[in-house]
Amino acid sequence: MNLFRSEEHIARWLGEREPGATISAAKLSELAHAWWHDRISPDWVPHTREQNQAILERLGLTGEFWQLA
Amino acid sequence: MDETDLQLRRRTYAFFVEHGRAPAAAELGDREEVVAGWRRLHDAHALVLTEARDELRMLNPFSVAPTAHRVRAADRWWYGNCAWDAVGICAALRTDGRIETSCPDCGEPLVVEVRDTWPNDESLLFHCLVPAKRWWEDIAFT
Repeated sequence: MNLFRSEEHIARWLGEREPGATISAAKLSELAHAWWHDRISPDWVPHTREQNQAILERLGLTGEFWQLA
Repeated sequence: MDETDLQLRRRTYAFFVEHGRAPAAAELGDREEVVAGWRRLHDAHALVLTEARDELRMLNPFSVAPTAHRVRAADRWWYGNCAWDAVGICAALRTDGRIETSCPDCGEPLVVEVRDTWPNDESLLFHCLVPAKRWWEDIAFT
C-alpha cells in the first residue's frame, strides 16, 4: 500500500502483476481518518467487519476488490 | 476479546504513544500473562506480533520498527506500516502531520503534509495491491 507520483509510475511498478485499486491522496486521507481515528481512544472497541465495510462503502470504495469477506 | 484483553491493549497503545517505543512484555506486568494476552489480541487482529509471537511488530496504524513511511506528528517521529497507516497515524493522534515516503517505482522522495485531515498534494495516488478479503492473510506484505 504505497503512494505513487502518477498512474504511469504505478503501471511501471506493477509490471506484469495484476493491478489492485488506485485512489487519490485525498480519498486516502478520508479513508485513513475514518478507519483509524478512534484507534488510541480509551473507549476503543474492535470494529465489526460490517462497520469497516460501511466505512468503505460510505467513501465509495465498493466492488469486489473492497469486499472484506 | 474480553475486558482484560481490551485493557491490556489500551495499556500497550498508551505506553507506545507516551514513550514513542513499544513496551517489552515485562514493562506491562507479568511477562507470561502479558504475552498470552498479546497473542489473543494478535489472533483477533487487534495488534501484530513478531514471528516468535512474544514481541510487538505492529500497533496498527503504527509500526514498531522503522519503515519506508515516516511520519512527523505530535513532536515525534513515527513509522506507518504503509501509506494508509502513515496517514492513519495523524488520524489516530488527531493531529496534523508530515509524511515522508518515496515512490516505489522511481524512488523519488514524496512528502505529504496533512492539515485538518487534508493532504497538501492531491496529485499523488495511492495504490492498494491486495484485495480487501486477503489483507490479513499476510498483513506484513499487505
